[in-house]
Amino acid sequence: MTGQPGAGYAARTVPNITAVARREFMSRARTRTFRITTVILVIAGVGLALAPILFQWLEGTGGKGDQVEVTVGDSNPSVDVVAALSQILNANTSASPIPLPGQGGQTAPRFVVVANSDAQAARKDVLDGRSIAAIGLGRAPDTQDLKFDLVTKDSALNRNVQLIRQALISITIQDRLTRAGVSPIDQARLFTPPVVTLVPADPNASPGYNPNDDPTAFLVGFGLSIAIFMAIILYGQWIAFSVAEEKNSRVMEVVLAAATPFQLLAGKVVGVGALAILQYVIVAIPMILAIVFQGPISSLILGASSAGSSSIPGIQFTTIAAFGVLFVLGFAIYACLYAGAASLVSRQEEINQIVAPLTFVSVAGYLVATYAGTGLIPINSPIVVILSFVPLFSPYLMLTRLSLGTAGALDFALATVLLLIAIPAVLWLAARLYRSGVLMYGQSPSPRTLWRALRAR
Amino acid sequence: MSLVLDGLVKRFGAITALDGISFEVPRGDVFGFLGANGAGKTTTMRIVLDILRPDAGTATWAGTSTIDVPRETWGYLPEERGLYPRLQVLEQLVFFASLYGIPRDVAAARGREWLARFRIPEYEKRRAEELSKGNQQKVQLIAAILHEPAVLLMDEPFVGLDPVNVALLKEAFAEMRGRGTTLVFSTHQMEMVEELCESVALIDRGRLVLAGPIRDVKRSTGRQVVRLALDGRSTDGGGGAADGSGDAGGGGDAGERSAPAWLTSLPGVRISRRGQDYVELAVDRGVDPETVLRAALEHGERVTNFLIADPSIEEIFIERVGRPPSEDHHLAAAEASAATPPAATPTSGAAA
Repeated sequence: MTGQPGAGYAARTVPNITAVARREFMSRARTRTFRITTVILVIAGVGLALAPILFQWLEGTGGKGDQVEVTVGDSNPSVDVVAALSQILNANTSASPIPLPGQGGQTAPRFVVVANSDAQAARKDVLDGRSIAAIGLGRAPDTQDLKFDLVTKDSALNRNVQLIRQALISITIQDRLTRAGVSPIDQARLFTPPVVTLVPADPNASPGYNPNDDPTAFLVGFGLSIAIFMAIILYGQWIAFSVAEEKNSRVMEVVLAAATPFQLLAGKVVGVGALAILQYVIVAIPMILAIVFQGPISSLILGASSAGSSSIPGIQFTTIAAFGVLFVLGFAIYACLYAGAASLVSRQEEINQIVAPLTFVSVAGYLVATYAGTGLIPINSPIVVILSFVPLFSPYLMLTRLSLGTAGALDFALATVLLLIAIPAVLWLAARLYRSGVLMYGQSPSPRTLWRALRAR
Repeated sequence: MSLVLDGLVKRFGAITALDGISFEVPRGDVFGFLGANGAGKTTTMRIVLDILRPDAGTATWAGTSTIDVPRETWGYLPEERGLYPRLQVLEQLVFFASLYGIPRDVAAARGREWLARFRIPEYEKRRAEELSKGNQQKVQLIAAILHEPAVLLMDEPFVGLDPVNVALLKEAFAEMRGRGTTLVFSTHQMEMVEELCESVALIDRGRLVLAGPIRDVKRSTGRQVVRLALDGRSTDGGGGAADGSGDAGGGGDAGERSAPAWLTSLPGVRISRRGQDYVELAVDRGVDPETVLRAALEHGERVTNFLIADPSIEEIFIERVGRPPSEDHHLAAAEASAATPPAATPTSGAAA
């Protein structure tokens, strides 16, 4: 005789799974906690999507930027210092290693440069916080080079101070060149950056991941990994608590007289899983809308002048589809394990202790995926490639590899098949644990009790 | 068509919870399943329900292994009451019924009907955790019977109920019995067994002590009970109480009264209990109970009550098990003392 359910249960497998899933879904969806967390998550999601705009808005600069005052005095520079400084400071510095006049970025200005003929007044503005810096120009008596008095409350290491310094160096060079008779066109040529091509050291290296190639690819993989990670930790806990609650309230025995451990477990995973997906959709829709309409929202909040840099990552449909499959399967396998583990403890306080190893595995998978995604671990290293097929890790790692283009459809199919094989095995294991675990009270979950539970009829 | 247990054995590690339990529950009977706490009653019920699998032996209903019997055959009221604390009462009922394939609307209608019958219709929308223990127990019972099972297994159904609810539960028993439901309940309250059951099984430390229709069980003891009340004006003095009104409530102990000397010297007769105004005598089968009456009259006693009866189930229990059924007796203790079983415990489970 084995522990397999008898024919007495078999006829009602699907209806019972449905009934359990329905109860799990409804009783959880109706709680105040669920509603509150959903609202909080929606707000957090939208907030995250609009973070760049919100930060600018909170800084109170309204798109105007920090003020820098320039007192030219009698230095008689050969360049328009106010205009040049503004252009260089607001230039997209990443576009060119050396800031050049006339190559300013398209984003909203971070710095507002104004002229002020009264050096004392400019200094007072800095002291009072109206401006972040005041610059007084002069000429060195011997070389006739421009020299600057930079009045600021910040230290020499401050980022703004360093930017201004760099800009002033640039202006000084321009001033020297102009005085030496170099035309503006020749000046532009002088400052044009050279062409540098990155070549991988290994001549046979697959044309794969390079963080500089496509930063959004990494972001997509990273974001989707977080989504899976959160679902497993959060909703896995729900399932664990649900099992412990049934055990604690002794309702388990009543339910077990009517349904098999397998039906109960599967119902729980389906019910909580459906609720998880519902909550994700509720949170994701406003978040996606916020990202799509980042531009209009930005100009609404920050004013028409600042057309926010809309940065919708180039998410491909295949990545989203793979995410959907890995999300559902990854959640299912962890959910079964959480339920099986929780059935071994008698009190809700003990849940965290018993699910800790599972949480650890989940965190490990997530971290390896993140490290591989950011390049801390080479994405093509054997460990990452092998783990990306191992069921408990594949939801994270295969997703990362897919989104970075280092895994193909075959890799994904293999990982999916392995998950599909592993899930019934884990479900069987969890149902076994469940069957004897739920009637086990007051025993500490030692390896021995675990083994006994697995072998029990 | 009956529930037959045949040689059930169940071990938990080193502990033998059931050691060859065999008995039969006739269809439509009210069946009392007796034993102290830890005797193995719950384990037996769990095996019938296929929550546990036995190490040996079988359980069948109408000839089919209980493993293969459709789940809706059974209704189960476990000893540890279990409801979802935060679920509304009616929703619990609908959920449990849905596991047995009862449509939601049918379950809801039946649930309301039963709630009304148990006089708690106003709790329909309350959460279980807001209910008193007694009311939770009623909800639990309704959950067990809503799908109209053929067999209702109840583990200590009367524990924790006040007299009003005990009466309600008995009424429900009667009605379900009228519908042909087989009722099996475990208890250590022997007066319930006397009142309600047609058949019983008594187990102790995982072994069957006796089983069968109550009348046969009582006759099997090989003795009779005589209740005797005497008017206190006898010449021998020290006899029964002043008031000879017979069996009015078997009250407190009668330590201050001593039995007349002639009574204690009768062969084959011993005093088994002293009531407020009567004594109960255990009379061996070979002895005619009327010898007691004759002896009383010979000694000039005025007899106000003389009753010949079978021994009570409680007496049988104590006689066969060696202690009252209310005394706790855990499985672990059974294991510890298994090496030296008390003399009163039969060594074989074949008493049926």
